[in-house]
Amino acid sequence: MNQTHTAARPQPNVAARNAARKRRQITETIFWYALLLFIAAITILPLAWTLLTSLKGPNDAIFAVPLQLLPKDPTLDNYARVWKQLPVANFFINSIIVSVATTTLNVLFTALAAYPFAKMKFWGRDVIFYLLLATFIVPPQLTYIPGFVLARNVFQYYDTLLALIFPNLATVFNIFLLRQAFKSVPNDLIDAAKIDGASELRIWWQILLPVIRPSLATAAIITFVTSWNDFLWPSLMLPTMVNKTLPVGLAALQGMFASDLRATAAGIVMTIIPILILFIFLQRQFVRGMTGAVKG
Amino acid sequence: MTKKLNLTPYLFLAPALLVIGVFILYPIFAVVYYSFTDFNIVTPPVWTGLKNYTQLFQDDVFWLALRNSFIYLLVTPILIILCILLAIAVNRKLPGINAFRAIYYVPVISGSIAVGYAWRMLFDTNGLINGVLLSAGLLQEPIQWLAEPALTLPLAMSLTIWLGLGFYMMIFLAGLQNIPEELYDAALIDGCNAFQKHWNVSLPGLRPQIVFVAVISSLAAIEVFNEIYTLTGGLGGILNSGVTMVFYLWKQAFRLQHAGYASALAIVLLVITLLFSVFNIRSLERGSEQD
Amino acid sequence: MNRKLQFRVSFSALAMLLVAAIFLAACGAPAAPPPQAPQVVKETVVVPQTVVAQQTVVAEKTVVVPQTVVAQQTVVVEPTAAPNPEAVIPNVEPNAEITLWTFWLSPTFDDYIKSTIARFQKAYPGVKVNWEDHQATFQDDLKNAFAAGKAPDVINLSVSEGWVSDYATKGLLLPLDDKVSQDVKDLYFPGLWNEQLVDGKNYQFPWYQGLSVELVNMKIYSDTAGLKLEDFPKTVDGLPALCKTIKEKTGTLCDIRLTTNDLLSQMVYEGGVKVISEDGKTFTFDSPEGVAWLQMYVDMVKAGTVDKSVLVTDQDRVGLDLFSSGNAAFYQTGPNLIREVRANNPGLYGYLAAVPAPVGKSGVLGKGLMSLSVKNDTKFPNASLALAQFFTNPQSMLEFSKQVAIYPSTPKSYEDPFFAAKPIAIEDSAKPIAKDIISKYADIVPTIPHKADVNDIVLQAVQAALFNNVPAQQALTDAVTKANALLAQ
Repeated sequence: MNQTHTAARPQPNVAARNAARKRRQITETIFWYALLLFIAAITILPLAWTLLTSLKGPNDAIFAVPLQLLPKDPTLDNYARVWKQLPVANFFINSIIVSVATTTLNVLFTALAAYPFAKMKFWGRDVIFYLLLATFIVPPQLTYIPGFVLARNVFQYYDTLLALIFPNLATVFNIFLLRQAFKSVPNDLIDAAKIDGASELRIWWQILLPVIRPSLATAAIITFVTSWNDFLWPSLMLPTMVNKTLPVGLAALQGMFASDLRATAAGIVMTIIPILILFIFLQRQFVRGMTGAVKG
Repeated sequence: MTKKLNLTPYLFLAPALLVIGVFILYPIFAVVYYSFTDFNIVTPPVWTGLKNYTQLFQDDVFWLALRNSFIYLLVTPILIILCILLAIAVNRKLPGINAFRAIYYVPVISGSIAVGYAWRMLFDTNGLINGVLLSAGLLQEPIQWLAEPALTLPLAMSLTIWLGLGFYMMIFLAGLQNIPEELYDAALIDGCNAFQKHWNVSLPGLRPQIVFVAVISSLAAIEVFNEIYTLTGGLGGILNSGVTMVFYLWKQAFRLQHAGYASALAIVLLVITLLFSVFNIRSLERGSEQD
Repeated sequence: MNRKLQFRVSFSALAMLLVAAIFLAACGAPAAPPPQAPQVVKETVVVPQTVVAQQTVVAEKTVVVPQTVVAQQTVVVEPTAAPNPEAVIPNVEPNAEITLWTFWLSPTFDDYIKSTIARFQKAYPGVKVNWEDHQATFQDDLKNAFAAGKAPDVINLSVSEGWVSDYATKGLLLPLDDKVSQDVKDLYFPGLWNEQLVDGKNYQFPWYQGLSVELVNMKIYSDTAGLKLEDFPKTVDGLPALCKTIKEKTGTLCDIRLTTNDLLSQMVYEGGVKVISEDGKTFTFDSPEGVAWLQMYVDMVKAGTVDKSVLVTDQDRVGLDLFSSGNAAFYQTGPNLIREVRANNPGLYGYLAAVPAPVGKSGVLGKGLMSLSVKNDTKFPNASLALAQFFTNPQSMLEFSKQVAIYPSTPKSYEDPFFAAKPIAIEDSAKPIAKDIISKYADIVPTIPHKADVNDIVLQAVQAALFNNVPAQQALTDAVTKANALLAQ
């Protein structure tokens, strides 16, 4: 019950106490910066080293003891070699096509599906919802064997980018996410529009989507990154080199250069840089999107 | 009011449900069927009854894969603890803090394949890690990191943790920022030190995030593939030390062409995942009922 | 206001990225035909070596493929009455379109492959050939392609890694014995034609051969360890002692690789092991010879003298690159890969030496290296046979030999003065003796049923013995039991 235990008790040396507090604050600040820097170092180190390695020429030792981190004679040779041996530009374009198409259509479909769950009453609503919940925990790799057969026999899109887009046109996670978002929209908004005679589709498109834009961004970003980094399914579907997406191409690259670490490093850097640049531009959206993912 | 069959909700649901039906629901049934057959994807499946399942339970590698997958689940508590700490660390108004948050996010967007190969180079017998340790005199002889069966899983798990740090940190950060200041002030007045403050205020406040992270990261741990593929060169590690359930599924189905056997494996995996998720959600949600 | 601006910036960034990527593809990419179509060679180009005939040269419309241009002018030769001497397969389907997959030949040998395809099309006009090269992911890509029903018609398979019998035992390849005339069969060394037989049938056209040599890094071997080239072991069982010496004197590990895709074959060649009973019904690789073979490797691992990841990798490149990076004293490979070593590490090339590889207990110098097979359900069997045969005919292989240190599988090629010429560079050092050695190649491995699965069982056993302290005898006997159970099914 000592709510005012710092009441006016005579302090002999105010100046000294202030100085001590300032010192403590500075020490604390230094401590935090040091910790943050340390963690940042661990985070960046492998990639930084990869970058440095990719700039080393054949006579620049990678593994000298004692360590020699910086290239003595920086060169872009390794990048040229990788570029020449493998259709890296194709890898990029394929990845972009797949990720953009998947993300756009996926968010569209799941936003459509989330609205009824959030705001409408219809027969079977809860049953279907729990069914979807159940499919959430299905490991995707389980679906690859039948998926392979489907790709070959039914859809006949083996060795094309469609094989990557179709299965990911809707994800249960996004439906949940957007359902949450729709739920948090006040009903008055919808009722007002209904009174004005708007159709459900109109309401959805013109009124609700703009309101839940942050969640849409979240869903879009998560879907984009997942699609961009997807490896196993694309590796099963894309044997032709010029059709491969970035991760699959990188695996082929690594296989090609094996212990030629400089070239492998160059390949790795080439695949990371573009999405890193994109990230820097969209950074705030990214971060806000990620944090918006979990609301209750 | 007369009950009119309103088609609108169903129309809205149609595209997504169609996709999920074709690409998730149908495959489940298909895999159940395949698990009772001998199937190499090239020729039509041949019914063999329970043979795959009996073979599965006698398969040493299956039990090893199961064990490895369970060990892999340890990343979840590690990630939760580390990322909460990290979120607490970056949840202060130091200048430049946004730069740090962004940096911690880089591994997430770099992709597990690219980072996996970078790690492979690092831990090569003639790689950076050995180089650093040798230079610092901590090692006399280089360690063959990637060839040591006991190290395969720890390396893969470390990679998974490293990849997930930024992502989960962000989630916890958002959660922390949602906790009202008054709660912290009350704790301060009650004389709590930093540790007690977080234990009594932050942790309970982060419960929804903890549930979320636990579910997502444990699913990811069960389904892990890319880290193992890159670190072991597609081989699963010496003595199958890195073989997890999904890796074994892939190897059986697409390397050895035993898709029927792999399907049986997939069904077992599904059952385990189901039980595990139910258990996970139940036990964590029980706590959040207090909120 | 600010948010709108931000969104605009973000979207324009994305758009810029998209545009940039498209630009890159349009301008820069050297290997970028439109994403769906594999490389198609349609033009005809005259190759300097073959003298086709004195023909009138008619320049026709040419279709230029964005890949490297092989020659400056394109010349179309009018077909004449006399048959092309290289067209030995009859009844090639008209307007056939076939796919060829090669293993790790691009981009180094792009010109050679394309010019050979062009020559092929002169011999068999009307056949369209789509060529793809695959490297480290070759096996996975091929298996997936077979599963999808989209396998290539003509496939470059490794005999040394045992791939031909893998696919043949699954019924995926075309048996060749009754598909080609005896004349054609006689073009090849008999030991090479009868390789990787499954139930006595042959499924491959022998292609380019290698010689097993040990590439030696003289800096480590001679300068640091003080060893002499003449003392390099002549037999495989001399390797453990050598590795021990090298480890003691230089601290480097031995760069030795098990053929993890075909362990039983390695047991036969190196250890003289009888792996399966005469009637093919029981496995017998847990015999004393088998145990001795395995024990040799177990001892090396226990002594810490070998690089463990190289020992059990499934990629030959891993072992090669360890050597090229200057971290190993020697590596067993073919002279054709010296080229790779030189490209990756020009410095090492300067102190490279080569000695013949140690021979195993079987006494047989080696088996074949690469072959071309035809898939069983190809729509154009005769066209595929024609292509496979064409690439492996004496003329084609002679030209290949002139580009890189590989050796033909056809005796006729060796009559060319090229092989009699004195060797200059280290890659050519084996030229004079190549014919003799290759004519002695033989496949002494019996047919193994369920080969891929049995190999997996053996691999597990070998790993258990090498790394998990399971005694070699026990590991092999357990493996025999499991393998026999497979046979019984």
